Amino acid sequence: MTLASFAFYSMAGLALISALLVVTLRNTVHSALFLGLSLAAVAGLYAALGADFLFAGQILVYVGGIAVLIMFVVMLLGRASDLHLRQVNNQWLAGLLVCAVSLTGLWRIIKVFSNVLAKAAPVPTTRPLGIFMMRDYALPFEIISLVLTAALLGAVFFSCAERDNPGAPQ
Amino acid sequence: MTASGSGQAPPPKKVIPDPVFNEKNGRLLKDTRYWPTEVWANPWASPAYRRGAMLLIGIIGAIFATGWMIGELAPLGDTLYQLIASVASAGGLPQTATEATWIMIKALIILHVVLINGLWAVWWERKISAHIQSRVGPTYAGGFHGWAQTILDGIKLLLKEDITPAVADKWVHALAPAIVVVPVIIAFAPVSFGSQLAAADIDVGVLYIFAFAGISVIGVVMGGWASGNKYSLLGGLRATAQLVSYELPRGFSVVPVIMFSGSLDLSVIAHAQAGYWLGFIPKWFIFYPLVGQLAFIIFLIASVAETNRTPFDIPEAESELVSGFHTEYSGMKWSMFFLTEYGYVLLACFLLATFFLGGGAAPLPGLEIIPSWIWMLGKAMAMMFVFLWVRWTFPRFRADQLMDFNWKFLLPWSFANIAFAAAALLYLS
Repeated sequence: MTLASFAFYSMAGLALISALLVVTLRNTVHSALFLGLSLAAVAGLYAALGADFLFAGQILVYVGGIAVLIMFVVMLLGRASDLHLRQVNNQWLAGLLVCAVSLTGLWRIIKVFSNVLAKAAPVPTTRPLGIFMMRDYALPFEIISLVLTAALLGAVFFSCAERDNPGAPQ
Repeated sequence: MTASGSGQAPPPKKVIPDPVFNEKNGRLLKDTRYWPTEVWANPWASPAYRRGAMLLIGIIGAIFATGWMIGELAPLGDTLYQLIASVASAGGLPQTATEATWIMIKALIILHVVLINGLWAVWWERKISAHIQSRVGPTYAGGFHGWAQTILDGIKLLLKEDITPAVADKWVHALAPAIVVVPVIIAFAPVSFGSQLAAADIDVGVLYIFAFAGISVIGVVMGGWASGNKYSLLGGLRATAQLVSYELPRGFSVVPVIMFSGSLDLSVIAHAQAGYWLGFIPKWFIFYPLVGQLAFIIFLIASVAETNRTPFDIPEAESELVSGFHTEYSGMKWSMFFLTEYGYVLLACFLLATFFLGGGAAPLPGLEIIPSWIWMLGKAMAMMFVFLWVRWTFPRFRADQLMDFNWKFLLPWSFANIAFAAAALLYLS
């Protein structure tokens, strides 16, 4: 086993174990922390595959942004009773079914791309990524940013409407 | 104040005679007390002062000699690497062992940059804050301007009891300082300390540094939450809101620099600023009209905010929150938070020097004989002085003012700056 594959498989194991802990731990804050660890391990997977820009972007956006904001929300809105939640309810059979369906879909993708590890030394990916996004896929890129801006404005609009109407349920 | 006349007989067992006052107006005529000012009036008379000065000169000389050797030997690093590789192959070890040893050596050097910076910056901050407030700061430790104060403080912190509150979440509380301090050491990997002086040449260096600098806030939140204390929790919440907000203008203010230099690699950015306009104005980004100064100011302000220092220190506001997210920490765990703070100050200083002040480039033509790492260190230290100066000059923001300032001033102007830079690139080049 080479160093690269050792790094890859240890990161994969870390991502899976911490993801499992996210959905099984009863303390909401602990779950949020393990979510951050899981996202960081996914960033490690990108690094092991030689995708340097994606690695830095994943850390910047997911670990430094989204995981922190989730923790912020948990701490801001959390009550003491939230710290001892059961994470499963009586609908586990339906949940299992949904999982099976999405796993089948993922498996069909995995079969195509399995065992395609980076063979050569990683090359810088920032410039090709920029050219892809701004030239070859400029239209999808702009549409995605439009959708995200609309979602942002919608969120602001609804939170403003709630604040202006004190009778609305919080 | 009772005035004792010179005619009265002094008390028999008093070694130091009483001060002499004018009986009419009570003004001091002859001060016989042992005032520190008397010592400072002629400090070289004290043997401890001379000894301390000699010791300090020796230490600084040793640091510079080591630095000079590193600076001069940096191109010879390949030779050192070959030496390690030949030793490894002679011992029958695989190539991986050579790589691991080499990376470990570099990581150790980077770790010591952060640690020694902590010793230096704390002492310098104390002296500067003291002189800004008309005090003198540490004076006795080490004999010479209190230079050994931080070392003694470090020993004190090591010996202090490590307290975990009874209501604390034990594991999260214990892990928080580690999660705070590790990213700053990792983030130093691509920092260039001069031309060809970086531990790792990472193509996405700028993004890498900003990404890892953003992880520390998780440790701050963990510490704030796990302490089981409402002041700590409030400090952690404020820190999250502030750091996540100020990351945006901090990142966007660097985008013009990246656009002009066309790379995310720190050494390429520093190299893009080589040369002079009209033969004497260096082509540093800070001298780019409008765009450069705006980016510099926004980056400086956002960096001060990212390090939780005084105009922006609402996460640890002493007058409101005891000391914020690290209220329940003591000893070495507490000092980890401060090691991190000063580590981020140094990181921001090196980034400011790299992005806006030309990195290791000389400010005037003909000064290239001085090695690039001395220019880099000098620029970084000048920036660090600005950081300390800002901290001890401005009063603290209120929480809402802090957010307004970020979202309504810094962020729009950093966007506008990107547009200015794009227009300049499109029409002027």
